[in-house]
Amino acid sequence: MNNHLKPDEAMLIAYCYGEIDDADRSMVEAYLAEHPEELRRLESWGFVRKAMSRLEDEEVIAPPIIVGQVDKPIWKERYFRMTLGIAASFLVVLIAARLMGLGVGYSSGELRIGFQLQEKPREENRLTQQQVDQMIKNSLAVNNEELQSSWSKERVALENSVRQNMDRSSEKIDRLMKTASLANEDEVKKYVGQMQRDNLKLMKDYLQLSSAGQKEYIESLLVDFSKYLQEQRKQDLELLQTRMASMEQNTDQIKQETEQILTSLISSNGTSNQLKKSN
Amino acid sequence: MMHTDDLIARAREGDHHAQGRLMQIWYKRIYNFSYKFFYDHDQAMEVAQKTFIAMHRNISLLQEITRFRSWLYTIAVNCCREELRRRKSSRAVSLHEFRPGEGEESYRWEASADRSQDPERKFRQGELADLLHSCLMELSDEQREVLIMKEYEGLKFREIAEALSLSENTVKSRMYYGLEAMKKIMESRKITKETIGYE
Repeated sequence: MNNHLKPDEAMLIAYCYGEIDDADRSMVEAYLAEHPEELRRLESWGFVRKAMSRLEDEEVIAPPIIVGQVDKPIWKERYFRMTLGIAASFLVVLIAARLMGLGVGYSSGELRIGFQLQEKPREENRLTQQQVDQMIKNSLAVNNEELQSSWSKERVALENSVRQNMDRSSEKIDRLMKTASLANEDEVKKYVGQMQRDNLKLMKDYLQLSSAGQKEYIESLLVDFSKYLQEQRKQDLELLQTRMASMEQNTDQIKQETEQILTSLISSNGTSNQLKKSN
Repeated sequence: MMHTDDLIARAREGDHHAQGRLMQIWYKRIYNFSYKFFYDHDQAMEVAQKTFIAMHRNISLLQEITRFRSWLYTIAVNCCREELRRRKSSRAVSLHEFRPGEGEESYRWEASADRSQDPERKFRQGELADLLHSCLMELSDEQREVLIMKEYEGLKFREIAEALSLSENTVKSRMYYGLEAMKKIMESRKITKETIGYE
């Protein structure tokens, strides 16, 4: 059995429609001869194509088509309108930039866009590095001198202030010392004696006031206690009287009951004797 | 009768009469191509008119006269795709999608060429056309346009490839799978030799 190369989809479909060269046709035919299932597939396509061929064309009459002028003026051409649009947009941007203070400049082969553009200094006005260094040194020297003079002034002012403060403090201390030295020994003794007398008087008054208060308190306490005792005795007597009355009532009641019992005994005894006699 | 190549050459030079003649010759083909693609009379008319307007405007740009056919189908395919996009983005429904029957109101009376033919045969033909159209509409857009160009318009694979800007092998591959798909669709709808009434 020969093993022919399997034709691809494109080759099979080209064979089916007869758009294939002789060499490929031979190859496909040989392959189909060995593969009946592929042949059946192609035959089934034949049925599909025949069925599709039953769909006939629709009859239609071409309507009149009126086409306008083809040559459009150049300003209606798309490319012209696009170019014009880009130019207009660029112009708007430039005007907006101008109104907003933006600057666009071109000089010495450089395009610069920015706010408040100034003319670029020319080459001959430029400073050299030595000049710049010298300027920096001069500036530093001036700054140092100014700082030095400023520091000196501040130091003098500070010293003056400290000195004045010290003078004021020493004057105050001197005044106090003078006042203290003027006081003598007699006056001190007089002051101490007066203080002792005052203290003694204060103690005496305190003790007097204290004994009078204590006396009043004891007296009121005794009065209250005697009142309490009297009230207690009164209540005890009332209680005693009440109990005595109760006892009397009980005694009378017992006495009456006793009499009733005796009476009933006597009467019952007499009745029994009469019955015995009658019997 | 003027030869087609001469007509194309004159139309390319701006001869309106030649352009009109070309439209008369090709209108039916382009209409039927788009009608089979959409299965809709209005859309087919729309595509056919747009195609010939575009032809009229651009024929001066045609490089080779021998490629007129594939060039024209390129325009038609582009118009179909544009119409397809428009239809997908629009919610409008064509009245023809309601498919009127075979009565006097049917639009098919307008399209039918010969009303004197056998009514029974015409009825059967209409039913079969509906059936085959619905099978075609189940194919993908890419497979459908290749199948219609090959089976109904009779273009060579080379011409289809030119019209669709594809390689020939791609076109053949689409044809292969299109036929396979069509076979399955017809089997699923139980379309047999008896249905199509041949042999």
